Amino acid sequence: MTVIKSKPLREIFKILIPFILIPFSVVIGAIISPERSYLYVSLAVTLLSLLLFISGFDRKQTGTRRMVISAVMTALCVIGRFIPVFKPITAITVITGVYIGGESGFLVGAVSAFISNFFSGQGPWTPFQMLGWGIIGLLSGMLSRPLKKNRWLIVTFGTVMGMLYSFIMDVWTVLWGGGFSAELYLAAIVTAIPHTVIYSVSNMIFLIILAKPFGEKLERIKLKYGI
Amino acid sequence: MRSFAEYNPIAVTLYFILVTGVTMFVSDPIFTAVSFLGAVLFTLMRGGEGQLKRHIFSLILFFITALVNPLVSHNGVTVLFFINDNPITLEAVIYGCFNALMIVTVLYWFSAFSGIMDSDKLLYVFGAFSPKVALVLSMALRYIPLFSERQKRVRSAQTAVGLYKDGNVPDRVRGGVRVFSIMTTWALEKGIVTADSMSARGYGQGRRSRFTPFRFYFCDFLLIIISVIATAVSVWLTADHKFVFYPALQFPSVTVTNLLGYAAYGTLVLFPVINDLKEEIRWRYLRSKI
Repeated sequence: MTVIKSKPLREIFKILIPFILIPFSVVIGAIISPERSYLYVSLAVTLLSLLLFISGFDRKQTGTRRMVISAVMTALCVIGRFIPVFKPITAITVITGVYIGGESGFLVGAVSAFISNFFSGQGPWTPFQMLGWGIIGLLSGMLSRPLKKNRWLIVTFGTVMGMLYSFIMDVWTVLWGGGFSAELYLAAIVTAIPHTVIYSVSNMIFLIILAKPFGEKLERIKLKYGI
Repeated sequence: MRSFAEYNPIAVTLYFILVTGVTMFVSDPIFTAVSFLGAVLFTLMRGGEGQLKRHIFSLILFFITALVNPLVSHNGVTVLFFINDNPITLEAVIYGCFNALMIVTVLYWFSAFSGIMDSDKLLYVFGAFSPKVALVLSMALRYIPLFSERQKRVRSAQTAVGLYKDGNVPDRVRGGVRVFSIMTTWALEKGIVTADSMSARGYGQGRRSRFTPFRFYFCDFLLIIISVIATAVSVWLTADHKFVFYPALQFPSVTVTNLLGYAAYGTLVLFPVINDLKEEIRWRYLRSKI
């Protein structure tokens, strides 16, 4: 069931969302809540970008096989999150982005963040996590050619992405606590250091062990079935 | 009439977005307090397991977040005392409490929301935005229990052929990786079969119809209209009522118009509680007549 049935209208909406809705919502936010405008603007822009991506994905002719593979990778991400300490969402998202494509990478990252938050707690941070992991998937899809060639490059890339993700989520923590300041941000990063380190290391181990076999499997599936 | 959880998911989602939106973005302690009351009452009414843990967690979170603000923000004119030559001000303490209350309130609403929205409802709401993403979501949701089941099967088969016989850490890690790897191959192959089966049955040919157990009833429209009007009215009527925290606390007196605005938001926030209470009373009454 699509709410908007006519295709031209949906096209118009696709143009409307980035160019009118985002500035509009930013202005409205500044008027309604001057004290919390940071929080408002960040949440509005995040939600609208997610919406934009989803609407773009929906219009595209994606193969059924590619979609099912995305669903499989998403499920693997979420299952992996139950293993203690190990949180392979970043790793699997990067692998998906590199071997299947940026769009699937975005989808896998965003949907896994959404689903796994049902187990670990849904909150206003969900859209940020969705966008964060989604962008990691998209980026790895864009850089897929050099990343595919070198195993160590993909490991480094995944580790850096995991750290970047932690830093971006710290921005959110600070915004959420009311008002942004460099001092608070630094404090948030420092308190999160153990978490960030464990996270990056587990990411690295995961990528070292699994990047190659996973890549081979996906390449094989792609070759065999022509995705 | 139905209990609040049985309203149409789209109406419920809109309700939650508006209520939490006002709580998060309108910086006004009265709104926050009213919203907190509504959220806690609704959580208490719905009951369920883990209630006590949820309340304790909220209390701890409240104190931690309330403490952080005065420690890092030294704005304000009323200095209470000094820690390491840094002034702790009354304004920062009060603002910290207010902000912490907001965070706790929003988390209460979110947990109530996830309690109400099961996977069927979520897929319904997502399907309204994008059928494709909803499909990926629903397949992933189905694969999660399926893969856990398959993992157990692979594991027992591998144990039978001699994996895990040493029982030390490297052996366990190697075994885990091997099981995960086997499971992945299996899942990908099966996924292709699923995709082919879908194509064979005509997926992607023309518009997709689907089964939805939800319909829009009159009271769903009513809920949507009440939510939108109450939010608009409450934000509009209280726009001139500004609380100032820094540099000195200023609480302007509440006018009658402001009061109407707060009352509108109060009605909106208490809607689920009133609705469910009414249903409960009616149910008791009907049963008493049997």
